[in-house]
Amino acid sequence: MEATQIRRLAGEARGSTGRALRDLVGGLGTAALALGVLLWLALVAAAGLIGIGLALVPSAARALHAVADLERARLSRRGAEVLSPGPPPGRWRAVLTDPATRRELRWLIRHATAGLLLGVLGIQLPVWAVRDGTFALWWRLIPEGGRTPGLGLWTVHDWPGVVTVSLLGVCWAVLTVGLSPALARWQAAPGRRLLAPGPGTDLSLRIAELTATRAAALDAHATELRRIERSLHDGTQNRLVATTVLLGAARRMLTRDPAEAEVLLERAQSAAEQALAELRAVARGILPPVLADRGLAGALSGLAAACAVPCRIEVDVPGRCAAAVEATAYFVVAEALTNIAKHSGATRAEVAVRGSDTMLRLRITDDGRGGADEARGSGLVGIRRRIGALDGGLTVTSPPGGPTTLEVELPCGS
Amino acid sequence: MRIVIAEDDALLREGLALLLRAEGLDVVATAGDPDAFLAAVDRYGPDVAIVDVRMPPTHADEGIVAAVEARRRRPELAVLVLSAYVEQMFATELLAGGARGLGYLLKERVGRVEEFLAALHRVAAGGTAIDPDVVAQLFARTRPDSRLERLSPRERDVLALMAEGLGNVAIAERLFVSEGAVHKHIRSIFHKLDMAPDDRSDRRVAAVLRYLDGRERAR
Repeated sequence: MEATQIRRLAGEARGSTGRALRDLVGGLGTAALALGVLLWLALVAAAGLIGIGLALVPSAARALHAVADLERARLSRRGAEVLSPGPPPGRWRAVLTDPATRRELRWLIRHATAGLLLGVLGIQLPVWAVRDGTFALWWRLIPEGGRTPGLGLWTVHDWPGVVTVSLLGVCWAVLTVGLSPALARWQAAPGRRLLAPGPGTDLSLRIAELTATRAAALDAHATELRRIERSLHDGTQNRLVATTVLLGAARRMLTRDPAEAEVLLERAQSAAEQALAELRAVARGILPPVLADRGLAGALSGLAAACAVPCRIEVDVPGRCAAAVEATAYFVVAEALTNIAKHSGATRAEVAVRGSDTMLRLRITDDGRGGADEARGSGLVGIRRRIGALDGGLTVTSPPGGPTTLEVELPCGS
Repeated sequence: MRIVIAEDDALLREGLALLLRAEGLDVVATAGDPDAFLAAVDRYGPDVAIVDVRMPPTHADEGIVAAVEARRRRPELAVLVLSAYVEQMFATELLAGGARGLGYLLKERVGRVEEFLAALHRVAAGGTAIDPDVVAQLFARTRPDSRLERLSPRERDVLALMAEGLGNVAIAERLFVSEGAVHKHIRSIFHKLDMAPDDRSDRRVAAVLRYLDGRERAR
């Protein structure tokens, strides 16, 4: 019991540290850009003092908005969506007084300085942890003068010194695990606060955007309904009609030729059974019952367990998505795994599901022979249609010889 | 009677062919899509075509379009359209050029073999077969119509069967009355609805449907 708990805690720590480090690296990237833009802005301001800078104000403002938008997109990908306050004003006079631009400027200064330092520190910690933690393995290989711990404070001459450095490595590792999430949070905080629309911002653009996405959602809903209607009318109903046709024929045959009537009844029964099977498939296609019972992670694990090819599933989704999104994700994975088992010749498959508040991302990989081609009527067409109905995206990478990767993006929530 | 079947569902297509052949009818060709159907009509010159409304590629109304095209190529071809559900627009579209040799039935009617065969023979002989559901929908439109109100319940029954395309004999059989009684009802109906009496059943159907449909349009 305790061992499993420890393992679970260790797994969680590894997950949160990994996420935090990825955040810090991404933040470091935008911070470096921010520093560049900040220097450019300083240059423009200095040029403004001698009169020639005014012409450069719009381009400088554009650069500011561009880097701010990058950070918004990054923060939205990694957590709650950061809304854009709308397009900046076009004239330079308005630019200088625009409150959203001023907020972006305040963010720029913080992110280019503190954000950059936090990013560097966040990356330095694990580097030191690895360096000092493994110091004992390689300290003899380097020249004496270079035998120092990561911080370079003193030179190591003997084994007790090596042990000290190793202990220092352990400290760095503990700090990495303990501090990284907080560092990532601190790094993201100014962006989350200052890049979102300030109080009193005109939200008409946001409303227009929401109206558009809502219309798209309704469209997707209609497409989905059409798909269901079609599978009921063209599949199930046809099976049932065939059943009645065969039954009718059998009744007429009953007196004339009982043996032939028996054959017809047999066919009628199998047509009715097909109708049932299709009805089940339609119902499952609308909302797989297992999703409601087990949630997405549980349902996908069930799929992986049932797959003929050994399959590893990794689900990292905070909370639950809209039912239609989960159903589509489930369907996509089911189809993809069926494809893999049938066509790829793969020996193993991997499904990774990652979710944020706004997007559910699936990545399905196998080590098979590749060469999957949508034109040749595989399950990919159905997958694409399902994803399209939710306004999502599908990227298939499948060079001949493999491996095949399906990358799926499904907008969810808002 | 030489028959061509156009139905994209393989099981249903084979079931239909099997049923009709068991009844001693001559199914000369079956087709799974509009192009194959039109090719079969050109090649075999059938008397009757049984056509599903929904066919590839889009599964919308390709069957109706193909049926209209087949009629254009071969005006004497009788067409019986099968539909997954009743859609007044399809019926209207189909009957735009007159009701002669035309049928529009729900798919499941095929299972009632005797009635289906009667409808098939009627259509093949230049008559009409309109699904009871279509007629019921036409009747069910709730706008009060003083003229329809004037009909007795029995007369409404007769009007409905007339709209389905049944002849006097068939109506008499269905309602368990004498042919003379049916004749009398029909005269009374035409009088009350202010329509010119017509004994040829296809023209009669067209007139009745026009009346019922027009009631809708006038709304």
